[in-house]
Amino acid sequence: MLETLQLMGQGFISALTWMNLLAMAGGVALGIIIGCLPGLSAAMGVALMLPLTFSMPADTGLIVLGAIYCGAIFGGSISAILIHTPGTPASAATAIEGYQMTLQGKAGKALATACWSSFWGGLLSCISLYFFAPLLAQLALKFMSAEKFWLGIFGLTIIAGVSSKSIVKGLMSGALGLIISTIGLDPIDGTKRFMFGQAFLAEGINTTCALIGLFSMSQVFILAEKEIKARAKAAKFTDKITLTRAERKKIRPTIVRSWIMGNIIGILPGAGASIACFLGYNSAKQFSKTKEEFGHGAIEGVAGSEAANNAVTGGSLIPMLTLGIPGESVTAVLMGGLIIQGLTPGPELFTKHAAMTYTFFAGFVLVQFFMLAIGTLGCRGFAQISRLSDAILIPCVTVLCVIGSYAIHRNMSDVVVMIIFGVLGYLMRKFDLNTAAVVLALILGPISEKGLRGALRVSDGDIGCLFQSPVSWVLIILSIVGIFSPFIMDKFERKVAGDESVDQAVQDETLS
Amino acid sequence: MKKLFALILALCMVFALCACGQTAAPAESAAPAESEAPAEAPAEESAAPEATGWAPDGPVTLVVAYKAGNGTDVTARILAQYAEKYVGQTIVIENVDGGSGSIGWSQIAAAEPDGMTIGFMNLPNFNSSIVKGLGTYTTDDFAAICNHVTETSLVLVRADDDRFATIDDLVAYAKENNTVASTNGAQASNHIGAQAFANSAGFKYTDLPQGNTADELTSLLGGEADWCVAKVADIAGRTDVRALAAFSTERLAEMPDVPTLGEKGYYDQWLGSSRCVVAPAGVSDEVIAFYEEAFRLTMEDPEYLEAAASFATDYKNAADTAALIQQQQEFTESLAEGFWYE
Repeated sequence: MLETLQLMGQGFISALTWMNLLAMAGGVALGIIIGCLPGLSAAMGVALMLPLTFSMPADTGLIVLGAIYCGAIFGGSISAILIHTPGTPASAATAIEGYQMTLQGKAGKALATACWSSFWGGLLSCISLYFFAPLLAQLALKFMSAEKFWLGIFGLTIIAGVSSKSIVKGLMSGALGLIISTIGLDPIDGTKRFMFGQAFLAEGINTTCALIGLFSMSQVFILAEKEIKARAKAAKFTDKITLTRAERKKIRPTIVRSWIMGNIIGILPGAGASIACFLGYNSAKQFSKTKEEFGHGAIEGVAGSEAANNAVTGGSLIPMLTLGIPGESVTAVLMGGLIIQGLTPGPELFTKHAAMTYTFFAGFVLVQFFMLAIGTLGCRGFAQISRLSDAILIPCVTVLCVIGSYAIHRNMSDVVVMIIFGVLGYLMRKFDLNTAAVVLALILGPISEKGLRGALRVSDGDIGCLFQSPVSWVLIILSIVGIFSPFIMDKFERKVAGDESVDQAVQDETLS
Repeated sequence: MKKLFALILALCMVFALCACGQTAAPAESAAPAESEAPAEAPAEESAAPEATGWAPDGPVTLVVAYKAGNGTDVTARILAQYAEKYVGQTIVIENVDGGSGSIGWSQIAAAEPDGMTIGFMNLPNFNSSIVKGLGTYTTDDFAAICNHVTETSLVLVRADDDRFATIDDLVAYAKENNTVASTNGAQASNHIGAQAFANSAGFKYTDLPQGNTADELTSLLGGEADWCVAKVADIAGRTDVRALAAFSTERLAEMPDVPTLGEKGYYDQWLGSSRCVVAPAGVSDEVIAFYEEAFRLTMEDPEYLEAAASFATDYKNAADTAALIQQQQEFTESLAEGFWYE
């Protein structure tokens, strides 16, 4: 215990260097810009900025990515409030009350609420990061081949289920990802699979390339095919971006509720910030003493949604850091950043690399303060950026995609892979398939394969070895729940928010 | 509004350039202050080995076939930083990873043999890449300069596993029961070690490939594997695993209580991994002699030795290194026949 406290303290000391503070401020600002641009999601933003962190020290690199993540999730609320277009799907519920407030000339108040609740949501979510992550990492030591197999299966089913409109399409996307994950040297015998004599494929398809293609490049194709229209002008507002003491007190219970819900949703793989914001909004409405305000600009609605989506951030890091299972697309990108730094997710992050990990945690805490400051002071400026025309956005993102994928190995073959995945992502989205499931299957496929074949190897082909430990059984049950989750989620969500907004959120989920 | 667009466009350009600049950064000088290097170069010339008749006339590129931050990259950067004094030029590390190292080694083999490009070769991974057909090169496409780091393999068990007090206990148990040994990948270095040990002791086991050494050790600690083979540096500072024997011809200085496999009557050759410096084939003898001398002086430099305290620097001259590469190649090729179980 004392040792952990010491590590926590040292984390703060090493996070407080000029380099790291600069990284936090820059990352948050960049994240807010990405977040408030409709069309650029948090995952895209982190994927595009990933190559920038290659040459940074591991802790600084991760802090930048974490800062972009938090910034983008908050940034989405700016355009949601001012132009009634959520900058990221995670702010879809914020638009409901936020825009009403704007129409009443209370945009400043709405922005202040969003900023204040995002800050608390993010800050409180760090508590779970500090407490659960090392515990779960201990558990990870008990995960042998059979458990790793079920862990992979669990991740796949729940992701394919939760984040897709139909299970069939979700599972199809996951299966496609699994097929792609077989490219390269096979993990058990070292046989070359689907490499067609290309040595660069020996280590499999590079996940970072694949996700830049699937998330960012495909978005460029989608944006480019639409007629470019000027966005609605951001509403001018004159009121101050502050909250009164009474207002802060009013939203306090809402923030706490949203934090708990958002945090749990974050830890569970599959359900991301876009679902959390609706749940947060709904509970704010249910528990409110002034229900009649809802629909006419209730600050509790904005607070509920924004605290919940930022509470997801800290929670979602836990399964990624400890088990190597990214719960949704942003953490999949973050995991890419971790691996590029030569770090393997798992218990070693809390033993051998504990100093780095706790610096990152401390950075994540400090990032929330930067978000509060930059968010409050810079709202007006960011509001203007949210109107940036697609005509400018498209070429910029394309350039970043090409540079980003080239930068991984400084090899043109990665750029080709990225473009192939861009086209694939475009087609998948046209057919309503789930691009996030492909990326996650690409990461989880080898884990499951190695686990299954390893377990069978040790047991000499006896399938029974997969059903022996209690951990295996827990994961099997969770996988079955995952398969049926679309039915459950569907019912749940329709109850939670009006039908049309759910459809929109589910559709956008594939992007987030 | 137009001004703002222009500003944002400019911002995007800056980011784009940053991305280029940043990725080029690992390739930049390993020395803390690059700008000082050219100015000091004439003065430093005297420190460089003289009378070989050749010296680089510009920055030297040192190719590392793994990504920045990898074990080889870390040790290469320390070597490069202190070698600049003796080479008299900036040494630029270029990380060319992918293809299990083969992409980087292809690049060294294809480089102009003018002495301006040299690189790190990792044994036995390099040899495996040839045997597996990942690279189109052979050992003849490289000219050895020197050896830099050697890591010896060890046979490991859990520290609290009271079944195996000595290596003989493990062999006796393994002959009666089927044991599981985790490895860092199919036919990777630690798998080769496990197989060489099992063959020499005359027992069969089940190998469990894990892809990397961290997972290999987790598998051992979790009880799924009974024993495994890993290198000295992998277990530095760990108390949860115990070494039973070393793959060496004599006992290791850092662990004098651990017997060698040879003295117990098992595999009696050295086995482990080596990182050596090579040039593309076709470089002149003067170039080889120049770098051989420069790196020898570096590896004797007290400042270098202080910075390199965490790993086992093991200088070998060009001839010995060439012999080592050849020996490892023949050994790796010999594994193809009758070494592995079917």
